[in-house]
Amino acid sequence: MEPKLSSDLLRGHTDTIVLAMLMNADRYGLEIYNRILSRTDEQYELKVDTLYSSYKRLEKEGCIMSYWGNETQGARRKYYHITDKGRIVYHQNMLDWEFTQKILSNLLKEEK
Amino acid sequence: MDIQKHIDKMFADYQENPALADFKEELTIHIDERIKGLVKKGMDEKSAFEKAINELGDVSVIADEIGKKKRQDVFSEMYMKTRNYITPVKSALYVLCGLVLGLAVILPLLTWYASGMVTGTVMVLLPFGMAAVLGFLFLGLMQETATREAMSWKRAIWYVLAAGLILFGVLVAFVTYFGMESVGPSNSAGVIDTYVYTLYGNKMFKQGSTSVVGAITVLMIFSLPGIALGIFLILTEKDRSKSWVIRQREEQMKYADEHFSRK
Repeated sequence: MEPKLSSDLLRGHTDTIVLAMLMNADRYGLEIYNRILSRTDEQYELKVDTLYSSYKRLEKEGCIMSYWGNETQGARRKYYHITDKGRIVYHQNMLDWEFTQKILSNLLKEEK
Repeated sequence: MDIQKHIDKMFADYQENPALADFKEELTIHIDERIKGLVKKGMDEKSAFEKAINELGDVSVIADEIGKKKRQDVFSEMYMKTRNYITPVKSALYVLCGLVLGLAVILPLLTWYASGMVTGTVMVLLPFGMAAVLGFLFLGLMQETATREAMSWKRAIWYVLAAGLILFGVLVAFVTYFGMESVGPSNSAGVIDTYVYTLYGNKMFKQGSTSVVGAITVLMIFSLPGIALGIFLILTEKDRSKSWVIRQREEQMKYADEHFSRK
């Protein structure tokens, strides 16, 4: 049997994935999109609406900020920048995930 | 394969505002660069465009969020903006109906004061009054407004027919009922006498019992089918609200659900 990626499971963590991508650098929309695709070996059929909904939500919650870059050549790009609140949320989400992952793995094990 | 055009079409239902314009620009650039990236990887331009558009999913969800506030701002304005939907031809027809309605008031009044005959008055009222009322009904039903789509003219005609039958039945029943008047004792009486006579029409009831039967018969023949047709039309009526009204309604339902329902 071939393993398949569960897109649904990933989609539930879009906000945290976006925050993770912004931890070390400001990035623009397509850049984050492309990084997610390449880091999942193009297995994850990520929809643009999912990603941009996440940007809007995070921005509303004050976890990220956006600004238009001043590219001298090529198209204008809108960059996203993680805020202090975003960093706190990211760490909390990571804790939650590690905790949940343990419990989930345990739950999914065959009972003996 | 114009990206800009495609995006504009996707958000055609949304009120333009700075936040939405900003998002549209961001999305346009995203798609444009995505296509370029795919082409660079060896995909032909047409399939790259299709893939990029396919990947979008339902971006209107985002527009819902951005466009929402703006929509509420113009909410009242949108309800009031009926004027935009009245074309010059339509407004001319409305004025025409108004003029006929004026005639439907003046001519029967003149007849009434000149002859003092109920029958004659109703007979004069019948063509003008019906033309005006049915005209307004037809135009009103076919009128597109800010919140409602226009009814198709075929369906509007059925409504006009139903209303026409009811109205015709009532007016003719009147004429039939007061038909005796012309040979009755009030014929020679003055205007005031006739007025009193009309007010206390129950005198007529004894005198012209055949005309009561006639009046009811006329009502049954014309008005009853008219009422039946009208009820049928109203029961089979579809919701003609515009999509933004329906969306607004759904949002309100959702809001009410979230805030007031007990779970």
